[in-house]
Amino acid sequence: MDFDWDEEQRSFRAEVRTFLDANLPDNWEELAHGPGSAAQTTFSKQFCGALAEAGLLVPHWPSEWGGRDADPWTSFILAEEMWAAGEPRGGQYMNVNWIGPTLMRFGTQEQQARYIPPMARGETLWCQGFSEPEAGSDLASLRTRADRHGDGYRINGQKIWTSYAGAADTCFLLARTAQGKGGISIFLLPMDTPGITVRQIPSIIGEGDIHEVFFDDVEVPEGARLGEEGQAWDIVRLSLSLERVGIPRFALASRMLHRAVDVLKKAGRFDAGAIQQSAKAHAACEATRLYSYNIIDQRCQGQPPGPEASAARFATVNAERLVAEFVVEHVPEALAGGDALLLAHHQRAIVAGIASGAAEIQLNLIATELLQLPREPR
Amino acid sequence: MDFTLTSDQAALTGAIDRMATQFESIPTEFDGFVLEGRELEQELENGQYFDIAAIPEMGPIAAALAVERLARLPCAVEVALSMLVRPQLDIELPRPFALVEAGRPGRFVASARTLLIVADDSIGIAHPSPDDVEAVESLYAYPMGKVTGALSIRALPAEDAARVRTWLRVACAAEIAGLLQAAIDVTVEHLSVRKQFGRPLGSFQALRHRMAECAVLAGGVRRLALKAAWTGDAGDAALAALHAQESATRVIYDVHQMFGAMGMTLEMSLHLWTYRMKALLSELGGRGAQAAAVAQYCFDNKPARID
Ligand SMILES: Cc1cc2nc3c(=O)[nH]c(=O)nc-3n(C[C@H](O)[C@H](O)[C@H](O)COP(=O)(O)OP(=O)(O)OC[C@H]3O[C@@H](n4cnc5c(N)ncnc54)[C@H](O)[C@@H]3O)c2cc1C
Repeated sequence: MDFDWDEEQRSFRAEVRTFLDANLPDNWEELAHGPGSAAQTTFSKQFCGALAEAGLLVPHWPSEWGGRDADPWTSFILAEEMWAAGEPRGGQYMNVNWIGPTLMRFGTQEQQARYIPPMARGETLWCQGFSEPEAGSDLASLRTRADRHGDGYRINGQKIWTSYAGAADTCFLLARTAQGKGGISIFLLPMDTPGITVRQIPSIIGEGDIHEVFFDDVEVPEGARLGEEGQAWDIVRLSLSLERVGIPRFALASRMLHRAVDVLKKAGRFDAGAIQQSAKAHAACEATRLYSYNIIDQRCQGQPPGPEASAARFATVNAERLVAEFVVEHVPEALAGGDALLLAHHQRAIVAGIASGAAEIQLNLIATELLQLPREPR
Repeated sequence: MDFTLTSDQAALTGAIDRMATQFESIPTEFDGFVLEGRELEQELENGQYFDIAAIPEMGPIAAALAVERLARLPCAVEVALSMLVRPQLDIELPRPFALVEAGRPGRFVASARTLLIVADDSIGIAHPSPDDVEAVESLYAYPMGKVTGALSIRALPAEDAARVRTWLRVACAAEIAGLLQAAIDVTVEHLSVRKQFGRPLGSFQALRHRMAECAVLAGGVRRLALKAAWTGDAGDAALAALHAQESATRVIYDVHQMFGAMGMTLEMSLHLWTYRMKALLSELGGRGAQAAAVAQYCFDNKPARID
């Protein structure tokens, strides 16, 4: 066992930090508050372009697609540093983490040639059209339909909670081509296709994040389908397992915890209650960090994804919650015109147990797969 | 960053595991508060396992793994302090070890040959004669004892005391990690077998979720304990001990709840794990003191970013 970083990993982290120091503007923390806002979207495009030029956008991609064939540690260290900085890549992290790799694996040559190079250059924003008003946790019950029409399909239905939809160029869309779980297909859909309407949903989590997307007789060619008809479930399961642990949320949580403690210390408010809660939150962040590292390590060893990934995700939810609760109780000014990044963190932390799958779903998986408890009756 | 054991460490943990398997079962006639593991202790002595931390190829991480594994057994043996704290002292001191805090009864105090006497910031060492200590009846599933005589105490220099305190925290966290795992394992088994309302209790989501949360906490404690054993850092040790005591508090309640009345019986023996954890909840000043140590070592002049 070795809990230390090797030379290469240290210098890669240093390289990323140097890049961040040089490329984040002075007002970055104010910009960070709305991950899908116009201001951040514009900035993120420029930032991702610069990252790409520095070879830091897709280092873990194969060299044929502009990467450096780096190992999973590299992409995780990169993700940690980006998230700790407030995620200046905006929604492009999805391209880098799983949309690009999914296209490499399942896309046609034409789809790859069209979509992957702009991702590798940091020029394009995607959104993920999975959830619907009647299909959240029970995603397989989704109703948006793609009916055969001429040489292609005609899509009708509605998505909801779609992050970045207002600014995205392309949607990674799930739609039904037949009944049942095996009747769902994936479409790569340009967002300027006629018949698509996007409406932003005002929320407590920051400007421009979540949207409703309506599809009215949206016509797409057959070549917009990724994989075979009905293959969506298998592809999505595989591509989401590329992420395994998801966003390294502990990195920003931990940084914000230290910042909040600093605020309290300077103000002489770091009292016994604050010490107790901040220490507890710190322990939860560090436990989560080790859970995540453990899983990245397994991935490096070529082990298949196991149930520990769900445990890591739930540990993340717990850590985010403890940090956010600590800040609200002890640094309440953060939500009232105080520190911009503490506010942005709060807005991200409160969705940790909902976005990308409810925490309770992870608990179900842990109970069944890790503990091997008897299943719930259906 | 690498979570695989070296071949030496893997061989050692394999050996400990095989030894542990022989002590897995609770004698059928047993219905006491404490199950003492004298035979196991003898085997550990014979194999010189108490000294593994000092072997360069093994190190404290191997000792922490051993402590965690052995804590999962139903019997109580003084392993953690001997394996993790004793090697941190420059001089060779006789085991078993025991901790005495504020004159209160402590685990293994009646049989210890070396006592660590903790008072505020200082730690002293004493070697009691049999007349200086006596056994105490208790609910805790460790043999408990207290000091009755006047001991001659040699104070440790401040630096040594700080190091010992760090390793006491590592020992506490590693032991709790094993106890948590064992308590969860027996509860999962119970929930899979016990039926009410025509189905196994473990198929009720209310219980499944609570057990899943317990499992996540236990996994976190284990990882923090191992990391602290690897770094020997005071902050890492404080984090591990805090998360351990915090998690144990929650898990003890949940597992007892899920056993129903059966969990209250000496026959069921759930207490062998939960009441060992309860004994550890107050050690080293409890959660309040661990939190203060986290504040001291982790929030003072430390960069918020990882290095
Ligand atoms: C900030 C944010 C961004 C998002 N971005 C996207 C996006 O880009 N694209 C996209 O497709 N979706 C997105 N989502 C949607 C997200 O995937 C869903 O919110 C999530 O899957 C949960 O679905 P739901 O909100 O419909 O909750 P529901 O399914 O209605 O569940 C509500 C609650 O009920 C409980 N629950 C549900 N099912 C179970 C069960 N089986 N057992 C026990 N408890 C249960 C859970 O507590 C859950 O939180 C986003 C959500 C948020 C908050």
